[in-house]
Amino acid sequence: MDNNVMLEIRHYSKSYGTGKKAADDVNLSVMSGDIYGFIGHNGAGKSTTIRAIVGVLDFTEGEIYIDGHSVKEDSMACKRVTAYIPDNPDLYENLTGIQYLNFIADVFGITASEREKSIRKYADLFEITDVLGNLISSYSHGMKQKVAIISALIHKPKLLVLDEPFVGLDPKATFTLKEIMHDMCKEGTAIFFSTHVLDVAEKLCNKVAIIRHGKIIASGTMEELTEGHSLEEAFLEVDSNEK
Amino acid sequence: MKNSILLLKTLLLSTSRMNIYKHSTDKKKRRKIVGNMIGVVCLYVMVMVYSIAMCVGYGQYGMIGAAPVMCALIISALAFVFTIFKTNGYLFNFKEYDMLMALPFEAGNIAACKFLYMYVNSLPWYLSISVAMMVGYGIFAGPALVIYPVWMILSLFLPVIPMLAAAFLGFLIAKVSAGFKKTNIIQTILTLVFIIFCFSLRFIIDDLFRNNKVQATLESASEMTENAADIYLPAGWFASAVTKNNILAILLLAGVSAVLFMVVFSIMGRSYRRINSALKSHAEAGKYHMSGQKQRSVVNAVAFKEFKRLTGSTAYMVNGGMGVVLAMLIGVLTLIIGPDRIIQMITQGAPLSAKMLQPAIPFIIYFFIGMVATTACSPSLEGKNYWIIQSLPIEKKTVYQGKMLFNMYLTVPFMFLSTLCLCIAGKVPLLDTILYLILGLALCAFSTAWGCVCGIKHIRLDWENEIEVIKQSAAVAIYMLPNMFVVMGLTVLVVFLGTKMDFKLLTLLLILIASVLALLSYRRVLGIVRK
Repeated sequence: MDNNVMLEIRHYSKSYGTGKKAADDVNLSVMSGDIYGFIGHNGAGKSTTIRAIVGVLDFTEGEIYIDGHSVKEDSMACKRVTAYIPDNPDLYENLTGIQYLNFIADVFGITASEREKSIRKYADLFEITDVLGNLISSYSHGMKQKVAIISALIHKPKLLVLDEPFVGLDPKATFTLKEIMHDMCKEGTAIFFSTHVLDVAEKLCNKVAIIRHGKIIASGTMEELTEGHSLEEAFLEVDSNEK
Repeated sequence: MKNSILLLKTLLLSTSRMNIYKHSTDKKKRRKIVGNMIGVVCLYVMVMVYSIAMCVGYGQYGMIGAAPVMCALIISALAFVFTIFKTNGYLFNFKEYDMLMALPFEAGNIAACKFLYMYVNSLPWYLSISVAMMVGYGIFAGPALVIYPVWMILSLFLPVIPMLAAAFLGFLIAKVSAGFKKTNIIQTILTLVFIIFCFSLRFIIDDLFRNNKVQATLESASEMTENAADIYLPAGWFASAVTKNNILAILLLAGVSAVLFMVVFSIMGRSYRRINSALKSHAEAGKYHMSGQKQRSVVNAVAFKEFKRLTGSTAYMVNGGMGVVLAMLIGVLTLIIGPDRIIQMITQGAPLSAKMLQPAIPFIIYFFIGMVATTACSPSLEGKNYWIIQSLPIEKKTVYQGKMLFNMYLTVPFMFLSTLCLCIAGKVPLLDTILYLILGLALCAFSTAWGCVCGIKHIRLDWENEIEVIKQSAAVAIYMLPNMFVVMGLTVLVVFLGTKMDFKLLTLLLILIASVLALLSYRRVLGIVRK
């Protein structure tokens, strides 16, 4: 396996009791420094694939490797280098923001000085430093999302997996997150995220995969996929060809 | 290990009322927390008083020697039953599963921490019983001082084995259910079947002893306790450790608890992800065709929503449906086996006849049916979905009427059927049967409305896990415990009054009282929602 491959999905399939496949022979690779967009309709299989990547969902067919480690066989090694932000983060509502961030920092063994620096940096960027002492239950959806994002960034993951990360964020926070993603990508972090916002994907990603009914129907670099058109046009064309 | 302690600490902190109190700026919320804490302390005191009273009874009949075994058996039975009810929701299918599984925790460690969280949360209840019985034992038996620290330390181990057994069974049920399409329904049915089996086990064991000609007297209670300790060894180890200072028994109780803990979570860890994946993932059938839709009244629409909420959660279904299932079971069993045999089995051969118990039929049924009122937990269960109802153009009164209507839909048919079974089995005259059905109806109405009062007064929307609402909320405790104790007392009182006055007159009087209480509770609901 190429040393730069941070996420490798090989022939991954996930089916339910009904026999219906939520993911069908999915193959893709995300390299260090990639910002990889994962787009598709609602129910296309994006979240199912993402949840399998981060070790939440069990799967029987195929293999997923993170930083060379198998998610099935060595899930702990995979989780240590990965950060995941779900589409609707279920945080511990009765902890304060800072208590939650300290919990995550403790799990990853981040030193006190290092975590203080990271939390201060990102909390300032997202403008939530002053409310970190409040209970998460008192936060708005966007504030919870910001806490979840900070918790994913404080241990400097090699692979960042995000499920619809821009939902609920205000325009400034969306801009900040995009900037952070660019910076992380420059430092060699691989970013894999699902989105419905094709404009964002087009401006942010260097690679894209389109999933439909659990199958990858197109993937590659942004240039290969769009061929001079917009991503929206490319998406609609590929999607209509598959119908 | 370090991460497991960290996770356990965080789980406890995330549901700690003290943490909310410390960091919340909402004065009303803080006052509510203090009120809840006082309420919970009152309940601990109630449990302690009840446990000491039991020891006094034992002491006065010269049977205090049986107190340690009895203490161990009571704690073990409670720990087992409560854990079975809580396994789904705490160990499996919990809200923050995705967040925890994506962090570098071993699956088995997450399950173990969730179990320990359950253990730590329920420990004060078990310690209330244990400490009270230790004091009672100390007063009547006057044991050596060394007994007290041994008793206290072993009390910490007492609930572990039954809790592990219940958790493991919950795991097996979840594992079997995970293989089916309708995981929720299969899991609920299996859990209910298993709980019913556990309840019947006591009678099966009693019956075995009875066949061994053990006398059905007070002495036999002590003897049966000893017999039970022979079957359930940890209770015997506990008794032997605190009465004979048996070091081997101490080591056995502590050692077996520790080894079982490791074995259970090592096994559970292997299929934890697969089971949770199955429980949390639902395939989209995609076969729906738009057909004739039904229009319901607003109250019925809310009641239907409540029905879907109940059937959508195994934990809610098991807890909410347990009472009606047990009531039906008692009814059908009485019809099949006969009332006298059932009375013999339950009362250990006390001199009671079916005729004497006749006026208590509605209370016997209500004891089970009124055990849980969905109205006590449904306001809190709205949780994050609270906004849906709040933002709709429905009066609050209508919302709670809908919730109450659903509880009536759930309880009344079962109350009617089980009461009819008992009346037919006991050859109760027709007029009396009708009166009992009316009394049952009034009791259901009272339970529904009173549950709703508790549910609204102690509404808590910021829960982490629905089990906190269904099993551990102040609303449910305040509704359930006094209700159960009062019904037990009323059953005895009604049997006594039945020997002094006409059954029909007595039932009419009870219908009047229950109806007035139901009406007052209903008016209270309307009063609270108007504010």
